Amino acid sequence: MELTQDYLDRLKAVQPHDLPGDLDLFDEHTAMRGRRLNKAAYSLKDEHQRELFHRDEEAWMAQFGLTEEEQELMRKRDWIGLWRNGMSIYVMVKLSGVTNTALPEIGKQMRESGGATNG
Amino acid sequence: MARVVGGIGASHAPSMEHIYDAGEEVRESDEWQPLFGPFKDVASWLEGLRPDRLVVVYNDHMDQFFLNAYPTFALGVSDEYPVADEGFGSRPFPPVPGDAKFAWHVARSLVADEFDITICQELEVDHGVISPLPMVDFSEGEGGWKIPIVPLAVNVILHPLPSPLRCWKLGQALRRAILSYEEDLSVVVVGTGGLSHQLTGPRFGQVTPDWDQEFMRLLAEEPESLTKYTYKQLIELGGTESVEVVNWLAMRGALPLDAKPLVQAYYAHRIMGYGLQTFEVAA
Repeated sequence: MELTQDYLDRLKAVQPHDLPGDLDLFDEHTAMRGRRLNKAAYSLKDEHQRELFHRDEEAWMAQFGLTEEEQELMRKRDWIGLWRNGMSIYVMVKLSGVTNTALPEIGKQMRESGGATNG
Repeated sequence: MARVVGGIGASHAPSMEHIYDAGEEVRESDEWQPLFGPFKDVASWLEGLRPDRLVVVYNDHMDQFFLNAYPTFALGVSDEYPVADEGFGSRPFPPVPGDAKFAWHVARSLVADEFDITICQELEVDHGVISPLPMVDFSEGEGGWKIPIVPLAVNVILHPLPSPLRCWKLGQALRRAILSYEEDLSVVVVGTGGLSHQLTGPRFGQVTPDWDQEFMRLLAEEPESLTKYTYKQLIELGGTESVEVVNWLAMRGALPLDAKPLVQAYYAHRIMGYGLQTFEVAA
């Protein structure tokens, strides 16, 4: 048989599954859900994008084709909502920088979040 | 021919950058001395060893690579690596010097060994490299880096990730790449990241010191046992972001099995389990 047990074991192990509900992954589902949000927050690596964010946040947001819901999460600085909608912590850090939000504040919200219920 | 003369496992974190940049007084404070004191020991050790090159196995944090095209393994083949702007402006360090000729050899050797890396002629390094590097290499007085590096990035961010076993084998292939290089260079292999931390969800800030110290013990004494862990196990033991420890496993794979740990330090503080471990390779 081509699909050996060894291969099947590796295929099963490569993608963590059945994690406890309070642990999460950045995987296919997160990446697909978060495409627009991640692109937007990633842009803040660039200082011109940060300037635009400060000058006109709506114009900055308009570049990324965000849904109305995603724009609302951005406006409200709803870190849990952004996370549940697929924003990676590594680009969230860039958004925290430009919004002057300390990581412990995001952490406080995370701890009270009850998990990634959209996951 | 080139030689592997040592190894370093070190955490990386933006916090380490903030504290380093805050100056000597903060680094030497009661709060941070348990982390920075051991780093000074490593710097002294490295000063004595005087390696010609550092190969740094690390991971990027969406500062060079993004989700549009995320490489599983990526190798820098440049003569210099600028410091990335992670969203707050770049830290005021000059570009880290590289060695393109050596790096291209490493690229050829890895591909010959069936590690089909992404080859990067331009690569900006983020805190995965430059949060620990100044602590062991940067000369503040002279304002410069001392040892050229070859950066090797591993995807530990976007699942599916290369397995722990694969990262161990990457380290072994890296060893062959170094040993087969024609110039007489001494090389220290560095693996950065971890140890336990969790940056998302209800367990935000969770640190698991028992596991971290067990990881360091296993890495020293029976590193191959770590290749049997799945990412699910690593995440349950150390947190979602702790999977960076596979960079340490790659480093260890590049060393002889009987390499002995020298400096060993661990400090669980705030939201990080900070680890530091060096390995000596008998001449």
